[in-house]
Amino acid sequence: MNLRQSLKPGAIGGIVVVYLSAIGMVERFQDRNVITGLVGLGVVLMLTTYAITAYTTARKSDQPLWTGASVGFFAGLLVALVTLGFEGLINAGLDVRGMFVSITPGLLETLEFGLDPAVGALVMVLAATIIGAAAGALPTLSDDLRSAIVYAVTSTLLMSLGEPILRVTLGNLNLPTAWLYELGGLTIPGLILILVVAFGARWWWMSGAEARRESKAHMPEGTRRTWSRTSLFLAIMGLAALPWIVGPFVSDVLGTVGLYVLLGLGLNIVVGYAGLLDLGYVAFFAVGAYAAAIFTSPASFLVTEEGQTFAEAGFTNLWIALPFVVIIAVIIGAAIGAPVLRLRGDYLAIVTLGFGEIIRTLVLSDWLAPYLGGAQGLTRVPAAPPELFDLRNPQHIYYVILIFGLVAAYISYRLVDSRIGRAWAAMREDEDVAEAMGISVVRYKLLAFAMGAGVGSLGGVFFAAKIGSIFPNSFGLQVSINVLAVIILGGIGSIPGVIVGAAALVGLPELLREFGEFRLLIYGAILIAIMIFRPEGLLPNKRRQRELHEGDGPAPLDQTEEAPA
Amino acid sequence: MSHLLELHGVSKRFGGVQAVDSVDFYADPGEIVGVIGPNGAGKTTLFNIVTGFYAPDAGKINFDGHNLVGLKPNQITRVGISRTFQAVRLFAAMTVLENAMVGQHTRTKAGVYGALFNTRNTVSEEQRVHSAAIESLSFFGERLTPRINSLASELAYADRRRLEIARAMATEPQLLLLDEPAAGMNPAEKEGLIELIGRIRDEKGYAIVLIEHDMPVIKGVSDRVVALDYGKKIAEGSYDEVAADPQVIAAYLGKAGSEESA
Repeated sequence: MNLRQSLKPGAIGGIVVVYLSAIGMVERFQDRNVITGLVGLGVVLMLTTYAITAYTTARKSDQPLWTGASVGFFAGLLVALVTLGFEGLINAGLDVRGMFVSITPGLLETLEFGLDPAVGALVMVLAATIIGAAAGALPTLSDDLRSAIVYAVTSTLLMSLGEPILRVTLGNLNLPTAWLYELGGLTIPGLILILVVAFGARWWWMSGAEARRESKAHMPEGTRRTWSRTSLFLAIMGLAALPWIVGPFVSDVLGTVGLYVLLGLGLNIVVGYAGLLDLGYVAFFAVGAYAAAIFTSPASFLVTEEGQTFAEAGFTNLWIALPFVVIIAVIIGAAIGAPVLRLRGDYLAIVTLGFGEIIRTLVLSDWLAPYLGGAQGLTRVPAAPPELFDLRNPQHIYYVILIFGLVAAYISYRLVDSRIGRAWAAMREDEDVAEAMGISVVRYKLLAFAMGAGVGSLGGVFFAAKIGSIFPNSFGLQVSINVLAVIILGGIGSIPGVIVGAAALVGLPELLREFGEFRLLIYGAILIAIMIFRPEGLLPNKRRQRELHEGDGPAPLDQTEEAPA
Repeated sequence: MSHLLELHGVSKRFGGVQAVDSVDFYADPGEIVGVIGPNGAGKTTLFNIVTGFYAPDAGKINFDGHNLVGLKPNQITRVGISRTFQAVRLFAAMTVLENAMVGQHTRTKAGVYGALFNTRNTVSEEQRVHSAAIESLSFFGERLTPRINSLASELAYADRRRLEIARAMATEPQLLLLDEPAAGMNPAEKEGLIELIGRIRDEKGYAIVLIEHDMPVIKGVSDRVVALDYGKKIAEGSYDEVAADPQVIAAYLGKAGSEESA
């Protein structure tokens, strides 16, 4: 019975391992140490597959511990057998290298754990069954224990994979790193320390959760507000300290993340609050960047009577130009909003998609080339007077983006909780009814587009200032899609979600660079996994979470009741 | 002589169908008017015309000194007409309280500036909105007030109907249009509804117009009944008069096979 239950997942798990091996991922990843001298990333990949296979198999059944463990045991065994079968075929002379160039002796060595083939096979079966049994037993454990184990294992993996950044970070803080990391992987003492600390911390947290919830529920309003203000303050302090801890390279990545946070906050107003699916959001990003360039670049067509550009004549620098850029973007936002007012849902999405393309085509066109530079773009965007912030320095521009990000977050936060936010929410839920409740749909749609455009243009301004020159191909559909993905991934309508979403979507590919050609494969797999397991996003607002998990509770629809008294 | 709501010769055609055919209609404060008629008689279309969702092809609509023809639905809400929908249409992802607070939209005016800087006016306005919403919810006794932080989608069916009425009341209307409020209710709930509609009229003094298929409900609440068939007004008067009208009987009996029983 257990065997049959494990059959299908085990076979799938086996195929996954064979696939990852055949495309060369296992072998390539093995070069990366996870626990130095013991486990490489290639092996971790296999072990993870065992664990996930066994866990998902056992999770379906509501059983006692030993049943879960045995289901996991068989699932792990099957994965190992499929892998060994594959290995056997290769050893028996099956030649598939015409298709899978990555199947090399080095791969076989990895699959054999660098041991004698027979011993290696034995080790694989042992590892697969032990890990399988452990992972299979996991769903039957208490929530606290399971959560602590999962945390300990994932923390170890993250600490190890984050080695390139964490080592630099610890170095910047003048902390010793040799005890923790060695040759790109964790040391054994480091491993034990992380496991123990992560397990203990999570255990402590989980066991105190009930009491905390209790005390939070009874906390007076004033205390609660003080608490949330303090934590917000600490979070901002943490963000402010970040560039000096992580160094210039990661700061540069953080700057890009920050740009996406700005864009995400803007689009969040349009899509998340007002429910207007805008697939051409890049238009506002482009408007911000181009308007900033035109006001400040010496290559600009905008000149005074003496033939000086505005910047040369001292009329503008980036800071002076900024409010004008935002105003222009707001006007263009409303202008783009006006023709699409009558459209809803999918139709709106298609039309905005068209607007995004129109803007890109316009900036690329020969017709506007004398003004916008055509394919050559606009270069020499000066980075504002450096007295305050040197915008070419990644650590400096990070602060500028952080400040404006906070402003944008504050604007969003205030708006959503106001009469305007309620009107948007009503419109998002049901446009006709919103109108019947007295909400001017025209007005609030335009307002959403205008606010979204204004915030998005800030992203464009700092993009131009950061890069120093702008080209039409920076403003393609991909940007619109990325920004939309940021807010969906983070949780639509959630301000912290936008930040986390941007960090995940923009930061992750940067951090995955060391995986070379497998980078986008992993990235895609992670995105799919997040959306399957957390459709409401990483940090959703509470309401949306409730909405999506409505089906989990008792269904209210069929309830009937007695008449009111 | 002039009524709160007055329709003169209002007509609306959809393609080949004359949905509403030169209908005269009126309603006064403190009066409950029942609108009956077989399915497709034009009752909901009439509501949609009054509330600005459809523009009439012909006819005049006056309300409290305003000409409603050409006004948008949100403007019509502002002058004091509020409605519910045949199929309950709440803002499902908003809480019960927020649904009612949306109703206050036209009675408030905070804009971007007020929202961003949380001005003193905005704060006091929000407090007013909050208490007005609570007030309209508490009209339903203990039905809605204990659940103000539930999502609208989490309510039981009859409570959704109640919330829709509470939301409409939160707009502070002079005229309330109820589109089949008893649909889907059990007999006990219908009893409660009859009592409730009467109480709204008594305490608020609204003019109330309701479309209803359920004859006991119509009989229980209406001061005056108007019957429509094929877009035309075929009878008007007290419930007993209309129920005895041969044209009304013909309209219902003629379709008895295909209609829900009245």
